[in-house]
Amino acid sequence: MATFFEQVREMGLKQATVVKADEIVERVTVGMNINDIRAMLRGDEPRRPNPRLRPHADGFWFHIRPSFYHTEVTKIYPTFRLGWLSTFMFVWETITGIFLMIFYTPRPGTAFADMWNIMSNVPLGQLVRDMHRLGAEVMVLVVALHMLRTFVTGSYKKPRQFTWLTGMVLLCLTLVLSFSGYLLPWDQLAYWAVTVAVSAAEAAPPAEIVGYNLNLLVRGAPSFGAGGLLRWYLLHVLVLPLLLAIFFFVHYYKVVLYGISLPPGREEIGEDTAKRVPRDERTYFMPDIITSELMWAALATLALIAGSLWFYAAPLENHADPLVTPLHVVAPWYLSWSQGWLKLASKEFIAFVFIPILAVAFFLMPYIEVGKSRRYADRRVGLSVSMLFIAFMLVSNWMGSPEYLVQSTPEIEVAQKLIPQEGHSHLLQTPYEALVPGRYVPLAHNQEVPGNKELTHALHYFYDAMRLYSCRTAENGSGPWETCRERVRDDGSIQYRNSHTSDALPNPQAWLLIEQFQYNMVKLTLCFDVTDPRDPNVKLVDNDCSAFKYRHANANYEEY
Amino acid sequence: MQVKVVIGTLAFMLSMIIMGFATLREPARMERFTLAYEGRLIEQGAEVYKNNCASCHGVYGKAEACFDEATGEQIACAGIPLHTPELLCDGDSVPLRLRQRDWAGTKYGYVASVVAAGRTASGMPTWGEAFGGPLRDNQVENVTLFVLNWESEELCAGPPPELYAWPDDVEDHLAAFPGDVAQGEAVYLNPTYACTACHGQMDNPASAAIGPHLAQIGIIGAERVAGQTAEQYIYESILYPNAYIVPDCPSGPCASPSSMPGNFGERMTPEEMSDLVVYLASLGR
Repeated sequence: MATFFEQVREMGLKQATVVKADEIVERVTVGMNINDIRAMLRGDEPRRPNPRLRPHADGFWFHIRPSFYHTEVTKIYPTFRLGWLSTFMFVWETITGIFLMIFYTPRPGTAFADMWNIMSNVPLGQLVRDMHRLGAEVMVLVVALHMLRTFVTGSYKKPRQFTWLTGMVLLCLTLVLSFSGYLLPWDQLAYWAVTVAVSAAEAAPPAEIVGYNLNLLVRGAPSFGAGGLLRWYLLHVLVLPLLLAIFFFVHYYKVVLYGISLPPGREEIGEDTAKRVPRDERTYFMPDIITSELMWAALATLALIAGSLWFYAAPLENHADPLVTPLHVVAPWYLSWSQGWLKLASKEFIAFVFIPILAVAFFLMPYIEVGKSRRYADRRVGLSVSMLFIAFMLVSNWMGSPEYLVQSTPEIEVAQKLIPQEGHSHLLQTPYEALVPGRYVPLAHNQEVPGNKELTHALHYFYDAMRLYSCRTAENGSGPWETCRERVRDDGSIQYRNSHTSDALPNPQAWLLIEQFQYNMVKLTLCFDVTDPRDPNVKLVDNDCSAFKYRHANANYEEY
Repeated sequence: MQVKVVIGTLAFMLSMIIMGFATLREPARMERFTLAYEGRLIEQGAEVYKNNCASCHGVYGKAEACFDEATGEQIACAGIPLHTPELLCDGDSVPLRLRQRDWAGTKYGYVASVVAAGRTASGMPTWGEAFGGPLRDNQVENVTLFVLNWESEELCAGPPPELYAWPDDVEDHLAAFPGDVAQGEAVYLNPTYACTACHGQMDNPASAAIGPHLAQIGIIGAERVAGQTAEQYIYESILYPNAYIVPDCPSGPCASPSSMPGNFGERMTPEEMSDLVVYLASLGR
């Protein structure tokens, strides 16, 4: 090969540069020079030997990608590209996660401040944090849908059983990744959601030996602190991504080895022709699949950025407080089903019997369900069972929410709606200027506070909340509430019920006090007073003003 | 395939435009969030204050409305006012109370360190976890920000609080602020000024370990400096310890410059000074 300068002397500088560039392109793409790329993008037939196969044969980056796919599996159906999207989400999470890692230290003393620093002091910090959290939730959903699709199309059957098993491992790793990340902001939401979920570890039988030590292993101390946070951080950024990558490569290798299964109707029962693709049914990776993937990557990026910016805001409550458990602690939505189950049975049974049995059943399902046919008509039982299971999971998810079986006294429930310990409410989101000091009662929707639309709106909400938990007695009742239904309890006291709750306040007085506490901060106090309908000298709730919250002018609850 | 390339390129361009749009909004948004963060910390600090501090320092920080936590009855406030210009208003440069305490750091540092470490002498408990107290570091930070948030234009509108200009002649001072002997004894015993730490208890001469015992100072004081009455001598000794060094101290010759703190003039109120002077001047007579 002549050197560059010899070529220049031979054919002139311009020509030599073009030739050199062509050589470089061919080396970087492992086999395709500029003309090959242009021909490919134009839609020409490839020359022989086909340069478009060389990146797959000789190159590192494409050596695991198939050089062609069966045309039938390259459309939206049957895969919905969910496997591809799962991988994209993992890459997305890694990139946004690395950005966040630069600004975060896993110490209880600084973690929370780091979160606010990211959101208020790092340009685009809030956007990246929201993209990371939204991406995590989307990834859990996409991975679960991918599993559902694989089940429905019967693509777990021979020879793809092990692919399914590694996929289940990946699902579990995704869930633990999401859960470990949940703890890192070290706010009340993070601390208590993870504490509640991990408390199952203490119950591992026998509790004194196994449970105790398992709890120490998981939390790093009897309760979460510096050790626990560091442990979960390391899991989240190092151990779990590594495991995920390893299992991903095994999983994907198997996917390529056996090929993506064809739609069930296309093959004979028991046949698997995914790897025997006739020439006229091939779609080549270069250029068709790669342009497809790049397009979908651009579209997914656009959707995630727009979604994070306009339709999503990752929450941040107050600093974690190990001494104060907020009302209505909930697990993240993808684990809400387990919280629902825990309301039905004991910790030990759910965590160490029910869930393990379910997990084993899922993992080994392809080795048990060995029917030959993938066709939908032949798998009615299996498909029905899976639909029933999904319905069961959805109901369990709802059961995990505070609406089911978790209720405090009516005053506390109303207070929680208006002045929650953590999180937002209509009252808190009222602009500060509208919080004029005074005493206010709940307003019906045809009433208003003159000149103060925002506060009126909040008082309407107060009224709606009171309606859910109040009633007026048939005799001597007062208040715009529905009539009480009374029931005598065993101990002789009366239980007042309305259509929403079985524990309502009869003829309650309720009011909101707004006091100027500092020059730029007001104190909001909710007061309740309920006289016993049977005896005017007895109070069921005696001027209870224990629900309060301070509201600073700059707190910006309207925006975040 | 061309369609795919066009769609992909458009999507990418749109992403960049959206990111650009977000970036343009960022400075204003970051400003709002910075303020929101501090605002929310102050809200949390208000709760810490209510639960831990209000029973000594008063509900509004003025050492006025103190209520017993258990019974809810009103009690005397054991703490000093915080919602005052002395602590919060910068005036010329440094708030008066920081000057009185010889604090060279920031207002935030002053309040945070007193909250965290406490002050044994005056009964302020230790609150900070680092020093064995019940509050975590972030709670100490929150309550400090809350206390500092009492500073407002209204609070600092008046003239800056000034140190009292002590007159040269004690008689002029006593004319303006007559003293009370019984209250003067209380000032002498007040742990804030810690007179007993060096000069000991009046009924026990051996307890004066560093400074001279003062049980006869009403007589001796008149003889120390020519032309000075006992009251004048005592008055100057407290305000300007180095004006006259006594020859003999319990542990040998008295140190020069004097071991006695020189900032009583900044720390004591005019009333306390008068009470103390008349009390000490009455000893031995």
